[in-house]
This record gives sequence, C-alpha cells and structure tokens, in this order.
Amino acid sequence: MRSVEQVLRDWEVVIGLEVHCELTTLNSKMFCGCALQHGAEPNTNVCPVCLGLPGALPVPNKAAVESIVLAGLATNCEIEKRTMFYRKGYFYPDMSKNFQTTQGPVAFCMRGWLDLELDGAGAAERADVEKDRDGSYTTRIAITRIHMEEDAAKMIHVGGTDGRIAGADHSLIDYNRCGAPLTELVTEPDLRTPAEARRFMQKLRQIYLTLGISDCSMEAGSMRCDGNISLRRRGETALGTKTELKNLNSFKSLHDGLAYEIVRQAQVLEEGGTVKQETRHWDITRKRTVVMRTKETADDYRLFPEPDLAPYDLSDEFIDSVRAKLPELPETKKARYQADLGLPSHDALLMADDAMLGAFFEETVAIAGVRQARAVANLLLNDLAALLNASDEVEASTEDARITPAALAALVGLIDDGTISSGQGKQVFATLVREGGDAQAVVEAEGMRQVSDADAIETVVDQVLAGNPDKVAQYRDGKKGLKGFFVGQAMRAMRGQGNPKVINEVLDRRLEG
Amino acid sequence: MVVTRGDAPMPVDIAALSAAQIRAGIIAGRFSAHDVADAAYAVIATRDTDIHAFLELTPSLAYAAAERVDAAKEAGEELPSLAGVPVAFKDNMNQVGTKTTCGSKMLANYDSLFTATAVERMVDAGALPLGKLNMDEFAFGSSTETSFFGPTHNPWDLERVPGGSSGGSAAAVAGGLATITLGSDTGGSIRQPASFCGIVGYKPTYGLVSRYGIVAFGSSLDQVGPFGKTVEDVALATNALVGRDERDCTSQDCGTDFTANLHAGVRGMRIGVVTSMNDAPGVQPEVVAALHEAVENLKGLGAEVVEVDLPHITAAMSAYYVIGPCEAFSNLSRFDSVRYGYREPGCELLSSQESLSRAVGFGEEAKRRILLGSYLLSSGPYEEYYVPAQKVRTLITRDFVRAFGSVDVIISPTSPRAAFKFGEISDPATMYLSDLFTIAINIAGNGGMSLPVGLGRDTGLPVSVQLIGPQFRDENIFQAAAALETCYRIEHVAPMARPGAVSRVVEPVMTIGSPTPPATMKGGE
Repeated sequence: MRSVEQVLRDWEVVIGLEVHCELTTLNSKMFCGCALQHGAEPNTNVCPVCLGLPGALPVPNKAAVESIVLAGLATNCEIEKRTMFYRKGYFYPDMSKNFQTTQGPVAFCMRGWLDLELDGAGAAERADVEKDRDGSYTTRIAITRIHMEEDAAKMIHVGGTDGRIAGADHSLIDYNRCGAPLTELVTEPDLRTPAEARRFMQKLRQIYLTLGISDCSMEAGSMRCDGNISLRRRGETALGTKTELKNLNSFKSLHDGLAYEIVRQAQVLEEGGTVKQETRHWDITRKRTVVMRTKETADDYRLFPEPDLAPYDLSDEFIDSVRAKLPELPETKKARYQADLGLPSHDALLMADDAMLGAFFEETVAIAGVRQARAVANLLLNDLAALLNASDEVEASTEDARITPAALAALVGLIDDGTISSGQGKQVFATLVREGGDAQAVVEAEGMRQVSDADAIETVVDQVLAGNPDKVAQYRDGKKGLKGFFVGQAMRAMRGQGNPKVINEVLDRRLEG
Repeated sequence: MVVTRGDAPMPVDIAALSAAQIRAGIIAGRFSAHDVADAAYAVIATRDTDIHAFLELTPSLAYAAAERVDAAKEAGEELPSLAGVPVAFKDNMNQVGTKTTCGSKMLANYDSLFTATAVERMVDAGALPLGKLNMDEFAFGSSTETSFFGPTHNPWDLERVPGGSSGGSAAAVAGGLATITLGSDTGGSIRQPASFCGIVGYKPTYGLVSRYGIVAFGSSLDQVGPFGKTVEDVALATNALVGRDERDCTSQDCGTDFTANLHAGVRGMRIGVVTSMNDAPGVQPEVVAALHEAVENLKGLGAEVVEVDLPHITAAMSAYYVIGPCEAFSNLSRFDSVRYGYREPGCELLSSQESLSRAVGFGEEAKRRILLGSYLLSSGPYEEYYVPAQKVRTLITRDFVRAFGSVDVIISPTSPRAAFKFGEISDPATMYLSDLFTIAINIAGNGGMSLPVGLGRDTGLPVSVQLIGPQFRDENIFQAAAALETCYRIEHVAPMARPGAVSRVVEPVMTIGSPTPPATMKGGE
C-alpha cells in the first residue's frame, strides 16, 4: 500500500470532523436533576424525565448552557441569542423517548474557527501550503457550529464477539448516561491531512480541558470524534463522495484511521471504482476500515422544534458573564511563554497545549525564577516525555510523575551554580520523576559533585589524549568532529562528574596549543 | 372501604352541593369529609354502571384525604380551599397509587410512578381524589368512543356520547358523581364535553397550569383545566391549579384570584362577536339561537357588544391537524414495549416486537394520527405542511391579539351541535368538525370556557357558549361567565342525578330559547 504522502501528491483530501464531548464536570444531566456519575451502579441515576416516562417534561440545565457558551467563545464562535431545541426522531432503545433532544438549524455557537500550527512530521504530510523556514505552517479551520444535545444510554451486547451487536443474543441497557449533556462540534470540510485532523482534535481537547467543561477522555469516550472524508483530484473543486469513519477513539486512531481511509479511497478511485457513501469502522487490531452500514438514502430523523421547551434566550449580560469567566487559553498562554519566559515557539506551543504540564512549569518558574524558564522547559519537554514513554506503565502520563515544582526548581539551581553537571542533572531528574523527594538529597545520596578543578581535569585530558594518538593526529588534520569523542572519554574517566565547560576549555588549549 | 349502600339514606347529596358548600358544610360540622367520600362512592356505585365515567376508583386515597381534612377540622385548623371536595382525574394524569391508562390497551397495566403537578395541587388543596376517568385513547377523539375500555355515556341521555376526549370528566360532574374533575384540552377536549354534558369546562391560557405528569398529546397545545357545575367551582379549582412549576418550563407565574371578579358584573365590559365564526356551515340553528340569546343577555347586563374579525380563523382546523399529529407522533414514540406498556408476546426480534406491540396496543384513531404525524414530519411534507402550519399559527395568534385590543372577551358557540348518538359520526373528518370553535383557541394559546346556556330548542339537550379571553387575562372570562350564568335557571346536573330521580328516567325540563313548549324526553330511548 502506498503512503499518505504519495497519495496526497495526486489527490486532495477533504476532511471534516464531528466531535462529541460529554460535559463530565457538571453535576447533573441535561434535562433533569439526575447525577452525572461515572461508574455508578447501572440504572441508578435515572428519573421519569431521563427514562422518558409518559408525562415527564424536560427542564434545561443552565450550567450546561454556560459550558457550551464557554466552548463557543473559546473557539471564536458567534453566540446565538435565541435558539431552539429540536426533537430528532429515531427508534432505538438507547434513547428512552425514541427521540433525542438536540438543537435545530441555529445552535448556541455558530461560525467559529481555530488556527492550527503544524510542524515537524505533521507538517510534512502537506505539500500544498507555503511553509516557514523551519517547515511549519499555520492553517485556519472553520467551525460550523457547536450544539447541545442529550446523550444516549449505554448498551452492552452480550453473547457476540467484541461486544458488538452482530451475533449477540441479548443486550443490556444502562440509562445512567441517557440524557447526559453532550456537545457536538462540527467543522467545515477544511482539514487536508490526517495530521491536521489530529492537531485539531488535540487543540480542541486542550481548550476544553482548560475551560474545565469535560475530562475529555478519549479512552472512556467522554470525547469522541467521527471523520467525514473524501478525495478529489488536485485542481478539482467539486467534492467527492465521502465516507464517515467511526471508532477513532485516540489521537493515533484518528490519524491512522484517516490515513488508511485516504489510501483506500485513492486505490478505489484509481482502479476506476467509485467510493460508496457509507459509515466505516476503524478496526484498530487489523489496522483497516470496515463497512458498518451503507447509506443509500439520507436518514429521515423527522426533526422539528421541541414543543416542551420554549425558545432559549441568552441575554447579553449572560454572555458577558460567561466571557468574563474564560480562562487563559492555550494560544494566549503560548504567546506569553514566548514573550515573558523566553521559550522558543515550539516549546511554548507544547507547554501551552498541555494544561497540566503548563501549570507545573509555571509553578516551578515561580520558585526558580524567570531566568531558569528555558532550563525548566527543557527538562519537562524533553526528559519528562522520554521518561514517561520509556515507563513500564502502559498509559504513563504527566500525572504519574512524582517530582514537585519545588524539587525541580532546586534541581535547576544546582545545575546553574555548577554543583552538578547537566548530565548529572538529568539523572537526578529521572530519580525525582520516579521516586519524588528532594533534589539536594538525591545529589548527596548519589555522591554527585561536579569537578571543575582545572588541574584535576588537565590530568585526565592528558591521559585521554595520550591514549589516542591516532585520533589526535586526525583531529589536527582537520577532523574537528572528534572533539566530542575526547569530551566523552574525559567525562567517562571522571564518572560523569567533570564540568563539561572546563573539559572543553582544557581540550581547546591542549589540542590547539 | 366503607360505602353507604345505595338504598340507605345519603347524608350528603353531592349533586346538589357546590365545592364551597361542601367545604362550608364540613366547617359547620353538618357532615364530615368522610361522609362526603361515602356519599360519592355510593352514587358512583349506583349510577356509574350506566355512565361508565370511571376507569378506576381510589377509595384508599380518597379516605386518606378525607381523614386529613377531618383531622384538620378536629384540630381547629383553617381548612384549605377545596377541603372535602370530591374530585377525579382524567386517566392521562399520573397519580401514584393509580394506573394511568390514557384509555389505551398500550397502557392498560401502567402504574403511575410519580404524581402530576395538577393532581398534587388539587389534593394539597384538600380535595378527595375519587378515581380516574375515562377518555378517548390518548385524548384522540371528541366522543370518548375510542377508549379501549368502552365508551362513557352522557348522563343526559345514555344513548348519546358525553363528548371528548375528556368525556369521563364531564360525565362524572354532570352525573353528580364528583364535584370537580380535571381534564386536558388539546383542541377542545374540555370545552366540547362540558358543552355536551351541560356543565362548565375551562381551558386555561397555555402556561397557566403545569403539564408535568399529564401524558402529552400535543405538547404545544395541551392544557389542563377543571370541570364544575358552576363558574365559582371552576374558579376555586383554577386558583388551586395555576402557577409556575419548576418541572414544566412552559408554566408561568400567576398571582390572580379567579374568584375575585365573579360578582363584578359585565357593565362596561366589551364582548366581541365573530360573525363569520358563528354562522359557519354545519352549526345547528339551536346553537345559533342560544348564542344570540346569550349575547342579548350580556347586553341586558350592561355589556357592550362589538363585532370583531379573526380573518385567519378558518385555517385553524388545517393547522391543528398538522401540528397536533406531528407532536402526537413524536410524543407517542416512547411507547415501544421495551420497558413498559403493551408487549406483543412471542417476538424474536426487537424491531418486530416494537412494530407488533404498537400495531396491537394502539387503537385506530391513535394509529391514524401517528401515521399522519410521521408523514407530515418527514422531509418534504415538513416544508409543505408543518412550516406553513406554524405560520398560520402565528397569524391566528396575531388575529386574537388584535381582536383583544378592542374587546375584553370574545363569545362564540362551544360546539356546532348538541351531543350526538353513539356511532352517529363515523367519518373522522366530520368528527374533527366537533372542535371547529375550540381548536383556534389552542392554536393561539388563549383561555376559553364552555358555559351552559340552557337546552337546545330542537334537541332539548344542553347547549353552551364559549367565552375566550386575552392570554393570561383569564379573569375576564370568569367575570363574564359568572354574570352570564345568572341569566339562566340552569340545573347543574343531568336529570338522572337530581333528587328523587329514578335511574334512566329524565324529568321534563325547561328549554331555553325555544319558541315551543318544552318537550318531554326520556333517556335511553
């Protein structure tokens, strides 16, 4: 199979996303007072309203409306002052009333956008845009709308394979989730690569996390994403037939699923076939998309205004009060990290994108001082990520690191004043991340001390040079790259305790002199 | 259950007493709330076999309520406004301890899991809940003939329908079985049966009474309201019912005392008459005559009568039979046999279980409306019918707003004709015409009351007028109705429920507006 990059040379990919997000941080459901409680005993958080019992009536949850307005303001949406809830009819036991209460043509949040910054491998997927010197680019993705709706109950199919309904002999329903407040964001078909789609989802997730409206767990399904994807020959303007992709429940699945589907559609089209309008499932184990259902005709949901709910009016005062509650968003934070703390653009972006990491970073800098911001950022962005990736824990995250901001601040202080080398610093950092504790104590316990004494270092450097006369000759013939080799040898001889700055100075004197 | 036997002397004559008189009687110690319950169940036992107003009796609830009233009296407390008043509820109102069948096989065994706000407020006001009342299935109908449990009979003539859909509620009051009952009105379902049974029936402005706990038919049209023998009884019940309910976000605050203007008279009031509406084809001459007489009576009382125009009112019926079925289709979607309701046995697949259960569990009229709504909401017809119907609704609402700029109340017939016989109307479209005058009021959302104005000169059956008020100015209706009521020597209950009446034999009564001497009628002929 060809790579996405190859396909993208001939084909333009058009991707739109639909992102559902449960408002998990609220206390109660969308239209009743039942508790939102993850992991509760099945069918315990239910009442006549969410069970759809005859005679029950919905009452909108104002806090949920505040959450969605926050989401809209944070994604540059216009907030509609008068909207209506609608009923979307479909017969399935997961929706107790056999209609879902959602919003009509006008949602609370309309016409927004997000700017995506792509760099590195992600940027490489796209060839048809102008890029900066470092290979990065920025692209604006329009958001059609964010609307409010109620979630369906959870169904568990028993007796089949993989919990899917095919082959199951009966199904269980847990109505605890039925009526939970759910937002759905729909993008315009503005995304052009799987990397852009992934970046959009990452950025949106960070915004929602910053707003505190959801735990945004893709694993647990509180944030989920469907992709609509079609291909057209470069230069064409008409849209091709799209497929809808489901089960994209991690950033990796989102990227890989879309990438697979792009290549699959290209192959179908290049072999003279036609792409069928259908819903496909990303099979994560077999790494391929499979047909879920074919959409021969458009579903008729018999959408009409919900007569049990009056039009929902938002006052200017309400919208302003929500705007006043907007926390600092990742984009603003990134700019501040660059301007005030001197982080390079890429580091600032990574730090601002991860709410927990950013908070940890800022707390450390507050103790260690702004001068140490870059050193702190380096350890957090490079070393922490590497340590967590190498961890035995399958899903190790920032949360699992046991280091405290105070310990990290002390550590960068010890490196800065020359007490330990930066190499030793990395070791101490690793210990602090794994075990926690105090930086000074770890340094003492490990017997770490940086040797900066020029005499001691000269002795070692002379021994290294004497032991490698051929390499010294090569160096003097112009193979200057060998300097790193000599530094390494000297450092090794000093068991990592040598001050690299002094070693370099001594080497320069000996080799050039 | 302690019930006074039918042949034993009755301490209380429910049929002869108003709500206020019952409360006063208990306060005065002439009888207890317990006596009232005894009396009510005694007449039900003797008379409801013929009428069939009740689907379920709830003596344990009624006697518990009676005990509370009697204990409060004993303790010297002030009794609430409806203390000891025997009441009953249409069977689409949830009440814990009762089934809520909606007159349907679908819900024949459905136990209420919570209590409707309207029911709760009546009981909180001290009323004695006697039981649940028959209705057209899911309130689809104008005759109570579509009830799965068999029809209710009109106490004035057992061979005639009581009207519908709240036929049980109207018949129970007219038959002297309860003092006040509650019904629901989507297109006339309180006012038309009130008219057929010769009692007062009132549909409040949409939003005055909470719909929480009422099984919805057309959510934007449904409103709960009371039936009573007199305007005063209905006003007392309305006072108990109205007001904001946090569980129904379409309900509104209301600080009005509906009994306040009952004796204020109509001098200086402006009464609107809609000529085009009153002379519509199919309106029986005796209905027109009764209306004209009522208008003359109002003039005589000092009211100013003004002609008003409601130019779009003729489209109300069409709009109603689009909006009503659409909402009904959606509201009835939940009856799918999965968690409750009728379930067809022996189905292997969920889809066939759902389809067959609905095919068997719903009656003809329910299925007709579901199919109609399902069609009208599908893409295409939605644009062609639903959207224009909503526009028509806006136009009609504006018509009323404009008309009420110059009048305080509008008067019209309630129903084009008096009660018809069972099976007399089999064509659905003709049946729908029963609600000709009432439907527009639901479309616009205003309040409307059916007030009996005597017996038709041709049929000898009760004939009524409808009084319509501006939205949330329902006190105008009560003021005009109470004044107009004084012009008639109206028997408050059907002949069969009057003292000394022998079951099924109806005594001669005066007909109003009739040039000929009163005719003798015999019920059941």
